[in-house]
Amino acid sequence: MALETAERPKAATDSNRFQWYKVRTGMFAWMLHRLTGVALVVYLILHVWELRALTDPDAFNALITKYHAPIYKIGEFLLLGAVVYHALNGLRIVLIDFLGWSPNQKRLFWTLGAVAVILMVVGGYPIIHTVVTHFFG
Amino acid sequence: MKLNVKIKRYNPEVDDAPHWETYEAPADPLDSALALLLHVKWYEDGTLTFRKSCAHGICGSDAMQINGENKLACSVLVQDLVSGDGDTITFAPLPGSPVIKDLVIDQSRFFEKYRSVKPWMINDGPAPERERLQSPEDFDMIEDSTKCIMCGACTHSCPSTWADPEYLGPAAMLKAYRYNMDTRDDGSDERLEVVDSSEGLWKCYTIFNCVQSCPKDIDITRWLSALKRQAVTSQL
Repeated sequence: MALETAERPKAATDSNRFQWYKVRTGMFAWMLHRLTGVALVVYLILHVWELRALTDPDAFNALITKYHAPIYKIGEFLLLGAVVYHALNGLRIVLIDFLGWSPNQKRLFWTLGAVAVILMVVGGYPIIHTVVTHFFG
Repeated sequence: MKLNVKIKRYNPEVDDAPHWETYEAPADPLDSALALLLHVKWYEDGTLTFRKSCAHGICGSDAMQINGENKLACSVLVQDLVSGDGDTITFAPLPGSPVIKDLVIDQSRFFEKYRSVKPWMINDGPAPERERLQSPEDFDMIEDSTKCIMCGACTHSCPSTWADPEYLGPAAMLKAYRYNMDTRDDGSDERLEVVDSSEGLWKCYTIFNCVQSCPKDIDITRWLSALKRQAVTSQL
């Protein structure tokens, strides 16, 4: 005999966006990609907003002086990190989707992660140097 | 050894919200996780509800969240979940679908998505005298994807599915791949119409939770990527 299933709860259409779930390499890479992506969009808006000062040489010079403060230097380093990670993980996704490198996704993440760290150390050295000398002489 | 079995319980007739309950169960390292649930149901609390049928990783009915990850309860061993005596194993229903009771979810939406990709062979050509032949090389292309047992572990592990209940999800689109790449099938265009959409392939952000959770070790993301390429090249 067929069972009457009409009484069963209707499938909800609301989202359950946030779930506790074990974070493995792929999900970690994606979360970091999202985070750096959103951060870069916010940065770009601020960046373009501040560029208004280009119309006034005095205001521009004042801003450039302000940006030499350590807090902005640290921000610059974080910006470098976000750009480097977002670009390299973007490359990882391209390789996965276009060339079918899916079976190597974890190795790809750690390899490109190492490249990201090297780029951050090399590219960020002047920034780190400035901040360290500011605080520790 | 003795283990703590922590289960997310929910009875819609009594409870306002799901809650955790912990039971003690004896276990052998080589027991399946399902054996712990059966022990609780048979000896501790007969009201515990979960789906299980074959208990051998074929029917795909006992997919659930075990220790924070979607797994097939019958296909995962206790020794791979705990490090020793007195450890705790947690059981929760698959995340992202309405819970009917305890570990049982409402799968209707999951199967609606499955049906929407037309998971059957479409071929209006004249039927051959005997059978539609397929070479071993042609089968190699789809072999991995034919192993799917429709347990739902992948779709319910996918953050895109959690965020967007209308997203087709990995299981349904893997079926689309399985038939689109089948050399005996002529229905690629019909299926691409469904999966090449804002609720389809392009919400796959290569997060790989589906691959991690698949009890049959299917490289789902790899095949969805291939389907993405098919969707793009079919427009050229």
